[in-house]
Amino acid sequence: MDFEDKTAIVTGGAKGIGRGIALELARRGSNVVIADLDEEAAREVVAEIKSGGSQSYYCETDVTQQWSTDDMIEVTIEEFGHVDVLVNNAGVGGASGFTTRKTPSVEDWQATFDVNVYGIVNGTQSVESYMVERGYGKIVNIASVAGRGGRPGFATYAASKAAAINVSQAWAFKLAPHGINVNTVCPGLIWTPLWESIAERRKSTGQPSTGLTPRQIFQQTVSELVPLGREQTADDVGNAVAFLASDRASSITGQALNVDGGIRQN
Amino acid sequence: MNFKGQVAVVTGGATGIGRAIALKLADKGASVMIADINEEAAAQTAAEVKEVSGKSAVFVTDVTDLEACNGLVEATTELLGAVDILVNNAGIAGSAGWQTRSYSTEEDWKQTYQVNVIGMSNITAAFQPQMIKKRSGRIVNIASIAGREGRPSLPHYSASKAAVISLTQSIALELARFNITMNAICPGLLWTPMWEQIGDRYAYDMPAYEGMNPREVFDAMIAEKIPMQKEQTPEDIADTVAFFVSDDAKNITGQALNVDGGFFMR
Ligand SMILES: NC(=O)c1ccc[n+]([C@@H]2O[C@H](COP(=O)([O-])OP(=O)(O)OC[C@H]3O[C@@H](n4cnc5c(N)ncnc54)[C@H](O)[C@@H]3O)[C@@H](O)[C@H]2O)c1
Ligand SMILES: NC(=O)c1ccc[n+]([C@@H]2O[C@H](COP(=O)([O-])OP(=O)(O)OC[C@H]3O[C@@H](n4cnc5c(N)ncnc54)[C@H](O)[C@@H]3O)[C@@H](O)[C@H]2O)c1
Repeated sequence: MDFEDKTAIVTGGAKGIGRGIALELARRGSNVVIADLDEEAAREVVAEIKSGGSQSYYCETDVTQQWSTDDMIEVTIEEFGHVDVLVNNAGVGGASGFTTRKTPSVEDWQATFDVNVYGIVNGTQSVESYMVERGYGKIVNIASVAGRGGRPGFATYAASKAAAINVSQAWAFKLAPHGINVNTVCPGLIWTPLWESIAERRKSTGQPSTGLTPRQIFQQTVSELVPLGREQTADDVGNAVAFLASDRASSITGQALNVDGGIRQN
Repeated sequence: MNFKGQVAVVTGGATGIGRAIALKLADKGASVMIADINEEAAAQTAAEVKEVSGKSAVFVTDVTDLEACNGLVEATTELLGAVDILVNNAGIAGSAGWQTRSYSTEEDWKQTYQVNVIGMSNITAAFQPQMIKKRSGRIVNIASIAGREGRPSLPHYSASKAAVISLTQSIALELARFNITMNAICPGLLWTPMWEQIGDRYAYDMPAYEGMNPREVFDAMIAEKIPMQKEQTPEDIADTVAFFVSDDAKNITGQALNVDGGFFMR
């Protein structure tokens, strides 16, 4: 197994895609720290991982705060002795209430960048000197196909994800001479609490999909956009992360891989 | 990751990268057909594959020859079964004598396009009906980072590899509705028979490398161009092929992934 005796941290690992990533890494033998704000949901994932036979630990973390990601690394090392993999997955679609705003507010721009961009920067900054010293480390960041090109309607989110891809390249360059890999996964369409809120926003801001349930809006989007004709899953993203975080991908760095059924091509 | 019972075809599978791909797929349980113009080396690799997975075959195939491509389909089906995995790896860097020219001849352009692009299309078209019938299939094309951006030497080779990326994107879209994925890998710098020749060409053609032997040119390029400061290996490429053709990547199509130590980030 690729991750026997390894320890991975997954930010935003309590729900949705982060949960899928955490479970896939655990299935491959990793200890997994769930670093999230949502304690209740996180504890469920921890229990699920433990019942599958791997070790897991909840660390209350706000990725927008450097002190908090510092703490996350410290606690992980205390608990498991080392950190091998950091998955910066936590992300938001806007500030609270964004689902009811047609035009994003200043707070939406701020919140999106705070979590989706600085969240990656904070996590990376908290772990990089440790990984450099140890001469080993894998960082995988979760961006989005939305970050692959501008589109009308959700510029806050898309711009933050483009920044996430760019920031990953910057650290890939910086850490490459130390043998540390930094890559990005760009998921396509995955049914999670986040996507549900995106659908809610479309409904409440009077975009054409009014009258449909959030799930129907999602399914309609899948059939319009995905060449392979099906939704992607949190497991798909987890599998791609598991590949990029493994030693089988030790010559891959600075890349962004779309896991999107062919929506966008790179 | 397990390819037991699956049938794989690797073009250019006799030497270099193709050989490593064949052995990797065999290691995961696949039967492998080696399709190459180099009969002697192909037979040797097939014997090695057989030791690993128990089942292999050779069919002398020139990918530029349509009849040979159809013959390959027949031989594969008869000897191993219907194809599940196709790896289009055969490639050349120019026509006879290209290593000691400082310009590209019409023959360089023609033959490189003929093998690297049209050959790939030939083989894909030949195997496509089987995959469509089964409503499943995995195709991986070997492009190159040379296809990602312009370079001051070997324009015919770079252009052919850019065409491979483009071909991958178009055919991926055509085949998506049949549950067939097609992705490309862009290797960086690997010490294979092909690179020995590229080293000769650069030493001949580019002042910076004058007087160096091919391996010295190769090492100098790595020091200059590769952020991770190490060469990539056929094993690296084979591991990435194995990921793309596995169930883990079922929702990834139309992508080109650089395996290049960070040479080119995208
Ligand atoms: N769902 C999709 O279709 C999709 C597509 C592309 C990209 N993504 C990205 O994937 C990632 C996960 O998305 P998801 O759909 O699972 O979202 P989600 O809302 O279902 O889950 C996000 C998790 O992150 C946590 N989180 C939010 N802010 C945090 C903070 N400041 N500190 C720590 N944890 C925080 C939440 O508590 C939650 O558990 C995000 O980066 C998202 O942008 C999702
Ligand atoms: N070596 C590198 O650094 C590098 C970098 C990027 C991309 N690539 C690509 O990787 C692939 C494999 O390259 P390699 O370095 O292993 O090269 P190689 O020359 O060592 O092997 C190529 C194989 O293809 C076979 N072949 C050539 N023409 C053929 C034809 N018409 N029909 C069938 N088989 C044919 C050869 O006999 C040989 O076995 C090529 O597509 C190459 O362009 C190589």
